[in-house]
Amino acid sequence: MSTGDFLVFYGSVLAVILVCRCVPLLFLKGRELSPRVSDALGLIPPAAFAALVANDLFDPSVPLAWEPIVASVAVLLVAVRTRSLIWCALVGMGAYALLALVL
Amino acid sequence: MRAHPAVRQALSAALPVMLGYVTIGIPCGVMEAEVGLTPLMAFLLSATFYSGAGQFMMSSLALVGTPVASMVASVSLVSTRQLLYSAALAPYLAGASRPLATLFAATVTDESFGVNLERFAGNGSWDAVRATMVNLASMLSWAAANALGALVGPVLAIPTAVMSFAMTSIFICLLATQGRTRRTVCCAAASVVSVILLKGLGLGSMSILPAALVGIIVGMVVGGSREGREA
Repeated sequence: MSTGDFLVFYGSVLAVILVCRCVPLLFLKGRELSPRVSDALGLIPPAAFAALVANDLFDPSVPLAWEPIVASVAVLLVAVRTRSLIWCALVGMGAYALLALVL
Repeated sequence: MRAHPAVRQALSAALPVMLGYVTIGIPCGVMEAEVGLTPLMAFLLSATFYSGAGQFMMSSLALVGTPVASMVASVSLVSTRQLLYSAALAPYLAGASRPLATLFAATVTDESFGVNLERFAGNGSWDAVRATMVNLASMLSWAAANALGALVGPVLAIPTAVMSFAMTSIFICLLATQGRTRRTVCCAAASVVSVILLKGLGLGSMSILPAALVGIIVGMVVGGSREGREA
């Protein structure tokens, strides 16, 4: 990748990222939201995190791998018990590494 | 060491995210070095893009010689889910000054969004200053880890799959700690099914935003019909 290409890539993507991150917040901040809109906003976290998890775990173009699924169940149990991000991250990596060695 | 209570609260909230970012920032930096980035460039790119998915994608696309235009399109589309986070956080920033709100908004990520939203919703004393400190502390750990990865380069043979599972685990935890009402479960289930269907159509990671929108719509329909029956 040439320096010129890289700069074009960097500038364009940075502009898109900043618009996506800043515009909705600055536009909606301080406005009275209708109950329907705040209702929809409240559904964003479960929708987004479910989509992110599914994106990491499932890829229809390759055969289903069992290690991440089993490790995810372990993480889920830890999450429900501890609600701790760090324990989830550590248990997740440990379980995944262990399963990758065993299976 | 005596830190201001707000700084201490922000750092303790940010710690798990910072540790997660160090573990996946290093392999991300290793890949960036393969594309030709120096440690300083990796630091600056990470501090400004501040996107794990985007940066991993950038390196893997560049390494197979993808044309710049399609690289811009792919990485931009993966970043569009930020629109949702930005909208969801808006009500909590109502009292913040515009420059602070802008700095906060510009440094939101998947993980810091979850951490801050949980505190904004459950803790009356959580404010824009603490939330922005969470974002910036996480950003510094992400950028430093990327620079370190670019510095040590391929010397470090880390299994990226194991490292990146730290991020998946964080998403699982953030999902599991959402309330378990019928509508959040339906909403999450619809998102999952949509991601699988859209990936099956070849959309890859670009499926995240449309799938999340389907989930939100399903959640609203479920909520609406229940209210309708009760009325």
